[in-house]
Amino acid sequence: MTWLKLVEGYMPMQMISELAGSILVFALVNWALNRAGMGIPKFWAGIGVWIYIQLYLKYRIYPPIPFSVRAIYGTVSGCGIFMWVSGSEGEWQEFKRPILNVMDGISGFHKGVRTAALIVIPLALGGFAYNSFLPSFEEPIELRTVHPAPPATTKVHGKTFVLQVVENPYRVNDDGKYDQAFTDARIVEQAMGRLMKDVNDPNYNPWDPNAEGYIKYVREGGEIFFQNCHFCHGDNLNGRGLWAYAFNPIPANFTDAGTIAQLQETFVFWRVSKGGIGLPGEGFPWASVMPPWEQHLTVDEIWKVVMFEYWHTGYYPRTWD
Amino acid sequence: MSKSRYGINVARWGVCLGFSVLLGFLGLPLSSMAQEDLPEGFKQQGLPSPPPAEQIEAGKRVYFTKCVWCHGVEGAGDGPGAVRLWPRPRNFNAGTFKIRHTASGQLPLIDLDLLQTVTHGLPGSAMPSWEGILTEQQRKDVLAFVTTQLVQDRSWQDEEFEEFFVLELEKLAPKEGTPESIKRGSELVVEKKCIECHGLEGRGDGNAFNLKDDWGFSIQPADWHKCWNFRGSRQDPYNVKNIFRTFSTGLNGTPMPSFADNTSVDERWDIANYVNSLCEREQEIKAPQGTVTDETALTFSTSQPLGIDPLTDKPKSNFVVPSKFVEGDLPTDENDERWNLIPRRWIAMGGQITHKPRNFVNRIDDMWVRALYNETHIEFMFRWDDRTKSIQEDEVDWDPTEVNLEDYGVEEQAPQGTTFEEDPFHQESIAAKQKDGYAVYNDGVAFQFPIKWQELPAPRKPRYFWGDERFAADITKWTADGTLGVYEGTGWDQDFTEVDFQEEVEVVKAEWANGQWTVIVKRPLKGDYDEVAYLEQGKYIPMVFFAWDGHNGDVGRKMAVSAFYYLVMEPPIPMSTYIYPGLITVGIVIIEGWVLGRRANRRKDKGQA
Repeated sequence: MTWLKLVEGYMPMQMISELAGSILVFALVNWALNRAGMGIPKFWAGIGVWIYIQLYLKYRIYPPIPFSVRAIYGTVSGCGIFMWVSGSEGEWQEFKRPILNVMDGISGFHKGVRTAALIVIPLALGGFAYNSFLPSFEEPIELRTVHPAPPATTKVHGKTFVLQVVENPYRVNDDGKYDQAFTDARIVEQAMGRLMKDVNDPNYNPWDPNAEGYIKYVREGGEIFFQNCHFCHGDNLNGRGLWAYAFNPIPANFTDAGTIAQLQETFVFWRVSKGGIGLPGEGFPWASVMPPWEQHLTVDEIWKVVMFEYWHTGYYPRTWD
Repeated sequence: MSKSRYGINVARWGVCLGFSVLLGFLGLPLSSMAQEDLPEGFKQQGLPSPPPAEQIEAGKRVYFTKCVWCHGVEGAGDGPGAVRLWPRPRNFNAGTFKIRHTASGQLPLIDLDLLQTVTHGLPGSAMPSWEGILTEQQRKDVLAFVTTQLVQDRSWQDEEFEEFFVLELEKLAPKEGTPESIKRGSELVVEKKCIECHGLEGRGDGNAFNLKDDWGFSIQPADWHKCWNFRGSRQDPYNVKNIFRTFSTGLNGTPMPSFADNTSVDERWDIANYVNSLCEREQEIKAPQGTVTDETALTFSTSQPLGIDPLTDKPKSNFVVPSKFVEGDLPTDENDERWNLIPRRWIAMGGQITHKPRNFVNRIDDMWVRALYNETHIEFMFRWDDRTKSIQEDEVDWDPTEVNLEDYGVEEQAPQGTTFEEDPFHQESIAAKQKDGYAVYNDGVAFQFPIKWQELPAPRKPRYFWGDERFAADITKWTADGTLGVYEGTGWDQDFTEVDFQEEVEVVKAEWANGQWTVIVKRPLKGDYDEVAYLEQGKYIPMVFFAWDGHNGDVGRKMAVSAFYYLVMEPPIPMSTYIYPGLITVGIVIIEGWVLGRRANRRKDKGQA
């Protein structure tokens, strides 16, 4: 059932299209049944669609959405369905009829349903109230700032770096000059798999024996990454490393458009050098196990590993302009 | 396509026929021929056709983007990532693969076994699941490259030497995991000598440090209690078929043999059912010394598996550690019924790699915790799997409060040596090379609370790693030499300060048995407010767990560590919980009566009008 799997990064789109698709299917089935003269009463159709949406949100989406959010979606979809069933006076009457029939007890069956409802509704609401009054201890939600504002300068291995002006010394063209356009052209393809552009060209394959300059530094950065970083950030830089299960939340996913893709390279340099302990308060420095890499790596190694992360994910670092 | 397969079959039959004639002439019994020798549950299958050159080229591009970093340029399992990994990345050259549907010693099926490995990854190792990252085509392409270019000593097209006896897993209906089957399995694992390596209770403690793989690297028997770490679990850890497959085909390159020849299919299902039942479930089930009574077998067969988190393929974490109030004295051992008042919590642990010396090879990856409290004390029961009981033999040179142990020779291993011979730094290599001649430290467990957590500006906490300058941590640490202490920590590199609380804490029980530690620690709820955590009912108290495996060289900062958890001492249920829902129910009955009455009156009015 591979095709049913929620694909990381595409999940919101997938969810919206799946929901839209199923509503479309409902509409078609409804239309077909009406044509065939076997139309479902709007009362039941409305309730059915609403229950379907609730079940979808509860069981399909992972990680699970909290109840409060599902309650909001439930109210919104309930309003939408209400507008649908009460589109015209006739439709509204049709929708109301089953409820009124039960209230009036127009037949023995309806009387039975009325008696059952009279018992079940107070019990259900009482039970619901009991559950919400029962002390329960869910994990508290703590919202941290994922990308806090960086300082103007940072001091690594005794050298001060002005984050606005410093450049990655390894992001260079064949002449040894800083050249972002040159290096951007040599990163992996932004297609499924994010593969290198040409495995037989020393300009694109860091492992080519003839690789020189930028692309060779990428390999050196990768070597550092796979000796230090992949334990948490994962072999595919997606935050699903060997020990991701021990984290809360799981480590940063660099293949997501919300991390390194929207940051300046110097910001990443600062984050890597100073680690969790170097974060300002809003970044929860007490909870982050991100090592201050200046304790383990040289400045050159940090620049190389940052460059490797951009190469491997196929993102361009954000520029200042 | 069908034509070429037909061609291969003709060729195969030709070879077979030729051989049989030859053997017949030589007077050798025909029963030595493969067809007759097939173990129960296997069928013979032809050789696969070679992949087209374009596919190999496409696979090369995948390999050099994704795989080379660990598996190396020549596929010898010696990429830059290899030096800090255990288990090591696979060396493809010899064509030795662990997880297969094929008989022992044979090559795996590319489009089934290897594709599943790439798709689902190998849990418990660094090999991730590549599903959703590489398309199915890309995964097949990379296998075409690996199997033709990097597997050098053997070939899937070698008609002379290769044959494929394939376990017909899809055709064999699994035997239901009934209590009888589980009980029989528990007897068979003794009879078939599984327990010699996997241990009496299946925690992999039977022969923990003498086993080596084909390359000489140390290898440890699987812990049956953590099926989510089974390499062949295929992101479906509680599926008994995975165990049946491994047991039937063995793990090539490791001491794990195939049992296809000396067990019937029926016996294999019984063993697989038993091994599967040992994997941890919601309910803690003990079969001491591996003895399964009828009652235990029934509990095994009916208990619910743990929920598996699809993001990590490990059990789902709940970061709240509940503690319940009990009247009177707290339990004195692990068998006290009152422990069952609360669910046990699974504490996920990773290696400490924030500060030196880092722990890249953590042997302890989880722990189970329960907590109970009374008016004056709280008691924690920690249980974790550790294949070896480690107690340092010589007197420890340093004081329990010292944390910077570099001066005593406790240093981080440098990343070097991609072969067993070249690797002097990994503890497990040293262990495999010289069984007795390496440093063993104390096993241990510790937990930390913030001191004066009531005053922390939420959500501020002392740093997870022994607090920080501004906010100190209260650390309770037990080591296997019997030391239990409460310390104040003010930073990862700051020596602990002993707190005047030592006499108040107590090790109620500390026992290692069959690969599992049980440690019960009791401490008062309250002490000096400024020096120790002052534990209160109904509050979220941040908590971090630490664990050391002495045989892994864990000591000082080299250990396993968890994320932040919250201890909650659940207060008794207040009366309002019962009163308000009752009032609400009565209120709704009144409203119902009013609505129906109004409706009936309106109808009556209408009727009269």
